[in-house]
Amino acid sequence: MSPRYTALMASLPPLGGLLEARAPAISMLKLESRLTLLHPEDKTILDLMVGFLSQAVRDDDSLASPVDTRLLASADQFFKEVSNPTLRQLVSQRLDLRTILAALRRRHRGESEPPTGPAWGFGPWLGTIQRRWKEPAFGLEAVYPWIPEVNHLLESGDLVTLERALFGVIWRDLDRLGFGHHFDLEAVVVYVARWALVDRWSHYDARKAVTRFGDLVNASLAGIANGPQAPPPPRSAPATQPVAASR
Amino acid sequence: MNDHFALLALGWIGIYAPVSLGAIGASIGCTISGQAAIGAMMEVNSGYGRFVGLSALPSSMSIYGIVVMFILNRPVIPANAGALFGLGMLSGLAFLIAAIYQGLCCASAIAGSKSKPEIFGLALAPAAIVEGFAVFAFVFALVAAGGIPSK
Repeated sequence: MSPRYTALMASLPPLGGLLEARAPAISMLKLESRLTLLHPEDKTILDLMVGFLSQAVRDDDSLASPVDTRLLASADQFFKEVSNPTLRQLVSQRLDLRTILAALRRRHRGESEPPTGPAWGFGPWLGTIQRRWKEPAFGLEAVYPWIPEVNHLLESGDLVTLERALFGVIWRDLDRLGFGHHFDLEAVVVYVARWALVDRWSHYDARKAVTRFGDLVNASLAGIANGPQAPPPPRSAPATQPVAASR
Repeated sequence: MNDHFALLALGWIGIYAPVSLGAIGASIGCTISGQAAIGAMMEVNSGYGRFVGLSALPSSMSIYGIVVMFILNRPVIPANAGALFGLGMLSGLAFLIAAIYQGLCCASAIAGSKSKPEIFGLALAPAAIVEGFAVFAFVFALVAAGGIPSK
């Protein structure tokens, strides 16, 4: 452990436990200001990781399949450029989780066979998932004990509890990866990843979600009533549930 | 002749090693804890003094090194050169490593107590325990130095 970022880590407030805070302990503006203390090469690595660590869909993302291609290209670039084993493991775990979620959602949507065509997932378990598509947990219960619970929540439509469970899985992964790292780059990355989770959770608003859902339904029904229309804008396009949509 | 000279050089290295290694360790330890103190001061609006005070804790290793050097300081002869080298170098290494890890302990104490001031006293415990191990090295270096021949 190299204490390279002692001042930076000491300047960041504790985030508390998962789902405890109603708002992040530090604003995005302030966090970004503190992250200017990073060395340029480490800032580049963090910037590369933000796309994987963020739980939010980025502004330039759509729900169309090219997101998968972009995400996988980013992952390739990351693994080419970064040799730090902890950071590689962090991204790898997050991509595994997204791949499993994408598979569960595809199956939930009614896809009885694994997708063919362009790459849709990442990691060593992709082949196993495709081979054992019809098994509830793709035969990965021993490796990822959370899959049966997540699958059950997805099937029952309890999406809030599902999101909570996923956040718990990610939080525990961060606990494991951050162990022994207090003042180094890994500690900074784990902090930013946790911050992204807290930020995402604190922005959930049930009332706004219901309004948004209603708007989407109305827009879809209007499209049916008016007959075939020009393709909708990317954000409202029918979700094909790519890997990125699992965020 | 050359062997004799090398032996005497090792003896002199042993005499000065506790000071140099202790000072190097104290510098690194104080840098680590000092950076944490600066980071904490960016986050809080009061209580700066105790952060700065805590960040100076690893400097004690340098003082131990000076005392050990005074105890070891004597005419270097072939009969005591090896003992001076062994005692000085090993006690210096102990101070060096203890200072670095004490700096990390202090940095953690500062980072933890900035948002929970009530744990400040308890947060000092790991740094105090590391100090205790350094004191063992210091005291037994003094004891062992009593057996090194001067003539």
